[in-house]
Amino acid sequence: MSMQPSVQPMTVPLVDDEPPVSLWRDAWHRLLRNRLAVAGLVIVVLLAFVAVFGPWLTPYDFLSQDLNARNQLPSLAHLFGTDDLGRDVLSRVIYGTRTAFVVAVVVTAVAVVIGVTLGAMAGFFGGWFDRIVMWLTDMTMSVPNLLLVVVINASLKGPAMAWMEARYLETLNPFYRETVWVDFLLVFGSMALISWPPYARLVRAQVLSIRGRPYVTAARALGLTNRLILTRYVVPNALGPLIVSVSAGLGTAMVLESAFSFLGVGVNPPTPSWGNMISDGLRVWQHYPHLLAAPAAVLGLATAAFSFLGDGLNDALNPKGSK
Amino acid sequence: MAAAEPLIRVENLVKHFVVRLGAFGEVGATVHALDDVNFDIMEGETLSLVGESGCGKSTTGFTLLNLHKATSGKVMFEGENIVSLDEKRMRPYRRQLQIVFQDPYSTLNPRMTVGEAVGEPILFHRLATKVELPERVARLLGDVGLPARFASRYPHELSGGQRQRVAIARALACEPKFIVCDEAISALDVSIQAQIINLLLDLQQKYRLTYLFIAHDLAVVRHISDRVGVMYLGRLAELATREQLFSNPLHPYTRALLSAVPEADPIIEKTRRRQILTGDVPSPLDPPAGCRFHTRCPIAMDVCRRVVPEWRDVGAGHHVACHAVGAVAPG
Repeated sequence: MSMQPSVQPMTVPLVDDEPPVSLWRDAWHRLLRNRLAVAGLVIVVLLAFVAVFGPWLTPYDFLSQDLNARNQLPSLAHLFGTDDLGRDVLSRVIYGTRTAFVVAVVVTAVAVVIGVTLGAMAGFFGGWFDRIVMWLTDMTMSVPNLLLVVVINASLKGPAMAWMEARYLETLNPFYRETVWVDFLLVFGSMALISWPPYARLVRAQVLSIRGRPYVTAARALGLTNRLILTRYVVPNALGPLIVSVSAGLGTAMVLESAFSFLGVGVNPPTPSWGNMISDGLRVWQHYPHLLAAPAAVLGLATAAFSFLGDGLNDALNPKGSK
Repeated sequence: MAAAEPLIRVENLVKHFVVRLGAFGEVGATVHALDDVNFDIMEGETLSLVGESGCGKSTTGFTLLNLHKATSGKVMFEGENIVSLDEKRMRPYRRQLQIVFQDPYSTLNPRMTVGEAVGEPILFHRLATKVELPERVARLLGDVGLPARFASRYPHELSGGQRQRVAIARALACEPKFIVCDEAISALDVSIQAQIINLLLDLQQKYRLTYLFIAHDLAVVRHISDRVGVMYLGRLAELATREQLFSNPLHPYTRALLSAVPEADPIIEKTRRRQILTGDVPSPLDPPAGCRFHTRCPIAMDVCRRVVPEWRDVGAGHHVACHAVGAVAPG
């Protein structure tokens, strides 16, 4: 008899009192056994807490200047010191965390919605729709991210600001003086624009691969509708890699936002962002290293945390590939 | 058997896959997976299809169930040509025509419990109410030799044999008349294979099932089949009752295939005459003209290279497609 060795030798003896373990629960247990991932998770949760409850945590107003206390080194009164305008650096870092999280969450959410919708449809329907979506992702990904964002900012910021100004003069509605909205819109928009293609590709590949799996054929043989096959078979099985990708993507979005703010094409002062704080701190780091160290350390911590968490999720959700 | 109306009648079934080659898919090519296949499946019988990998056995099963769209031809079931139906009109037939796949590790959705997997077709086809469901699932699991407590388990907690039992229970849940067993035991350990075969035979008795058993293991086929069909490169070469096929094979390919089966008795095994086929199976992208077997046939004649041999009955339902049969030794 010809025998294929595809049967794995491990036959799990079932013990009656052992509760059944779903793949999600199994993955969660695997994640908790990974110390780096747990550390990442704890830091991410802490940073999220700081971002959400920032206004109640800051010892000072992040904008109020104290010109008598400029460029102070860290002390009990100012744990991270003060900057060149006498603003409390800790408060600014906390607000920077808020900025980073808002940008990361909104950008990732928008990118995931666009990417998952387009990717799933491209993978499921194929044909010309697939070709157009893939062509769009290729095109977007072939333009250097930074260049695209700079071009968008440079070309749209002027007109947008002018429009806000004109609207303000026309209506005297104070909303139109808040140019920070233009900042956010341009940052969100341009970052979402460069962030969705990887999600689209990932989801498309997942759908393509799952569509051909025997359990989907088996579901078709049972006569199940396309909707049931998508919701019960394709989507739950495609979720794992997407979760990993989103976790890593949140970290990447924070770094991107900092990078753009650092270069002056992101969130603009006075709104604190880790990127523009690093940019400011870099000019004076030989004299006041804490102005650079504080935001840089927090950015590094956040990036590392998301990266550890992403790695841990990857190992937990795809145990076959990682061992 | 001759007078009875078959449960399923396959008429001139053809399945060609169009593939696109070249960097821009500019070259179209056709894989002749299935060409002009004819056979009947009688109610309550086990019909086996054997042949080398890639000969179209599984494609036959998939096309017959309308899981692959047939290129042409008919599959008649209850007076309806099911391969012409769209998915919606196919649905009532899907319940009656089931399939068990080769690899039990990938045919169960890893995110669904055994109970959900077995219960899903019952609820979907409205064969029981939600209240009756746990009892129904427990009975089905019992039918395939699994304890009812397995309903709360996930596939990854089960062994290959156990998973295959779940897959069978799931097919049974639809209360089908006909099940395609697509290499349903090939991926299992030999000891488990025997268990699953016996399970399939028991279930056939109990529920009066009809099987299309797709396999490449002749020993198994000989054990369980009523009739056996031999396929080569997308065409049926020979089809006969088990006794006829194993004692009086007519097609040269069948003979070569049977001569490759080892004997258990070492003395007979020593003297066994093996007929070794030379060469490889030609590509189904460009199958040979005439008889598809002529490139490797030990008795190929001139006509074999030009004319496709007719699929004919040489007596008592023994079908064969070979120019040499009849001319040399009538069945």
